[in-house]
Amino acid sequence: MEDKKREMLSEAKSAAGGKDKIKKLLGEKIVNWQEKNPKRHYIEIKKEHLRDSAAVLFTELGLRFNIATALDNIKNMEVLYHFSDDTTGVIFSLRVATDRDGGEIPTISDIITGAKWIEREIHELFGITFTGNDNLQRLLLDPAWPEGVYPLRKDYEYGRKEELSEEDEESLRRPNIKIDDEDGDKQCTIIPIGPYHPLQEEPEFFELKVRGEKVVSLNINLGYNHRSIEKISEGKHWDQVTFLVERICGICSCSHPFAYVLAVEDLAGIEIPERAKYIRCVIAELERIHSHLLWLGLAGHFLGYNTVWMWAWKYRETVLDLCEQISGNRNHYAMMKAGGVRRDILNSEIDDMKANLKTIVSKIDMFKGAVLDDPVIHARTKNVGILTKEDAIRYCVTGPTARASGIRQDIRKIDIANSAYGLVDWDMIVLENGDVFDKAVCRVLEMYESVKIINQCFDRLKELNEGNICTEIWDLPAGEGIGRYEAPRGECWHYVKSDGGNTPIRHKIRAPSYMNILSNEVAAVGGIVSDAAITLAAVDPCYCCTERMQAVENGKIKYDWESLIKMSQEKTMKLKAEQK
Amino acid sequence: MTTLFHYLIFPGLLFALVVGMIASWIERKVTARVQWRVGPPMLQPLYDVMKLFIKENIVPEHAHYLTFAAAPLISFVSAGLAATIIGMSIFFPSSGFQGDLIVVAYLLVIPALSLILGAAASANPLASLGASREMKMVLSYELIFWIALIVAWIKTGGLLNLSLFAVNGAVGASVSGAIAFALMLITMQAKLGRVPFDAAEAETEISGGTYIEYSGPLLGFFKMSQYIMLVAVPALVSIIFLGGASIGKYVILLVLIILAENTNPRLKITQCLRLFWFFLLPVGLIAIILATLGY
Repeated sequence: MEDKKREMLSEAKSAAGGKDKIKKLLGEKIVNWQEKNPKRHYIEIKKEHLRDSAAVLFTELGLRFNIATALDNIKNMEVLYHFSDDTTGVIFSLRVATDRDGGEIPTISDIITGAKWIEREIHELFGITFTGNDNLQRLLLDPAWPEGVYPLRKDYEYGRKEELSEEDEESLRRPNIKIDDEDGDKQCTIIPIGPYHPLQEEPEFFELKVRGEKVVSLNINLGYNHRSIEKISEGKHWDQVTFLVERICGICSCSHPFAYVLAVEDLAGIEIPERAKYIRCVIAELERIHSHLLWLGLAGHFLGYNTVWMWAWKYRETVLDLCEQISGNRNHYAMMKAGGVRRDILNSEIDDMKANLKTIVSKIDMFKGAVLDDPVIHARTKNVGILTKEDAIRYCVTGPTARASGIRQDIRKIDIANSAYGLVDWDMIVLENGDVFDKAVCRVLEMYESVKIINQCFDRLKELNEGNICTEIWDLPAGEGIGRYEAPRGECWHYVKSDGGNTPIRHKIRAPSYMNILSNEVAAVGGIVSDAAITLAAVDPCYCCTERMQAVENGKIKYDWESLIKMSQEKTMKLKAEQK
Repeated sequence: MTTLFHYLIFPGLLFALVVGMIASWIERKVTARVQWRVGPPMLQPLYDVMKLFIKENIVPEHAHYLTFAAAPLISFVSAGLAATIIGMSIFFPSSGFQGDLIVVAYLLVIPALSLILGAAASANPLASLGASREMKMVLSYELIFWIALIVAWIKTGGLLNLSLFAVNGAVGASVSGAIAFALMLITMQAKLGRVPFDAAEAETEISGGTYIEYSGPLLGFFKMSQYIMLVAVPALVSIIFLGGASIGKYVILLVLIILAENTNPRLKITQCLRLFWFFLLPVGLIAIILATLGY
């Protein structure tokens, strides 16, 4: 009996994710199986069967949990649990429905640790309770936000503001210290990293509980940086959303629109012209190089090695110049468009750009030699902040964070519709140890691969005629679409739902850092404070991506753009008057 | 009256401060050029201090006021005194006294000790972490500092008078002296709190650590004692190991400090301790043995 079961399991694993296997394993539990296309499956199940089904997909079949999407259908609430097969690129989404008021769904966060945050998020934004999850405190919303008001529900008007009492206003943005000394451990101190700290460019709060120098536990607080992108998206038409998601983050300003247009194209089921595919990859890979150089510099800064910091950023300028040459902008490229790209690359400029790219390679060589062979850097980063493969799977991490821990996972290898990654030759960089050093090596080596991809794309572009860069989309049908792209930090995930109108009725975004930052819970504990600092930075956290969602800026806009300008003008006048 | 002049003006506080500011400017300018930046104007260190002195002094609510406020002053005064004695031995060799080397060596620990005191009094968890790191740093580098001094003492036949070292010739020219000089260079980097030994400050980990609660004039006094230390410590090293101080020798030492600062990441405090106690200590003991054997 045991043997038979094991045999069945290994068989199931060998064809991991094959839909027949899932059909067989889930059996009676499937209420409805909808195959949108061979890579997107939506499986409706009853919520009583959710835990079993999630365990089958995640534990038995070894699929990766992407994220959960909640939808307010007005008649009921629906939650989609997306699972990705990282060998074939197929996404299976479990669809579960519950009541709109007081809806309850059993938790899966004890099966999949990576689902901890999204359950908290759905709880506060939709009001769905996850039974069995005892930590459903707020993740993104401010503590002062009124109880029982759920900003992502359909009856929450677009642009509505909440009145906050004076008292609440005082508690706004106050660090929310969760670790206390109730266990009587007087020898522990809390070392705050954040909300404003030189280690981080963005507001974020890590509480390190330390004994002496040793970090014994870690609590992560989010919620300083919300801009309500998902809600805003529901008020913009399909083309405007491309620009909106570009503004989620200045560093991934190509990845988010890329994933979004892929989602729209998945929804509409169209294919884009070949030339557009190459152009997409060129700009996206340039973004990867500049992002990795930025991280390399910051990592040097965090280690106290400011020369590396300044040098990496200096050489990053060349990449930004290339981006500017192609798109007209250093960071916000506005290149993506559902159906293709917005701007063409001139064939006559390609040779120049290839020459510039070559200079970048010599600089990466220098960093590879000087930085990665430095004994002091080895001493600071090797065997520091290790994320084991098991933990990486448990926390569902993505991108270089996962690949440094020995997981073969790169969206560019598996989900390559409407991009040129299948048409060019490149390698996935996978390392074994999962420490800070391997994460650095992974990023440095990936830059070489990016250069390789860009060069091949340039060569193909020269063979193709200029001009044919976009398939026009006139009507979007009702339905759902999922797009994902391997951003520099990992898988960037967009889900859109259409009712056939001109705006998305639901747009779910999940940035890679959302999964990666949580894994610090295990990676940063156990070392000393110095280790924790570089470990927190090693996942290349991007907070503006992670926190792109809240309904209203704390219910009140204290100073808007115009009043700030007015204030500074007034101050200048005052100073000038005083000088006289 | 002349004593007061020597202490306050030349070669004491004021002179050392001015030279220290120039050295600090060179340090920042060279660092900037190495990092593809422009760097500050020559008077920037002066502007920094002046700015601090017109700013408000903020003392944390739970801090021990007296200790917190006294620490920077003690640091400044003792660094100045050390600089005076070192300077006197350079400019007025006849004024030296037997054992001034020991006095200077003690005086040069006081800035670090007062930094520990002040940080511990500031009631900030990051500062207390910085203070504990600074304490471990002092424990690590002082040991090697004294070993290097002992080597010089043996090599010169029991010399404890600073002004006589110049007459005696360069200690660093012998085998044991060269080893001791190399140890002293590393110790100097640590004593000045420069990368890779800036764990107590570690801006990106504990955001300034020991200095985190200091502001205004109190921070100004710490800054000024740093400037003085930047003169006093290399000058002392130069006197003992290079056979007297001169502008050329001082600049060489300064360049070494800047180079090491810009080509290394920060060491963890555990690694600093291990480096000094388990790696440099045996080397130092070997140097002492060599010195007694006459090498």
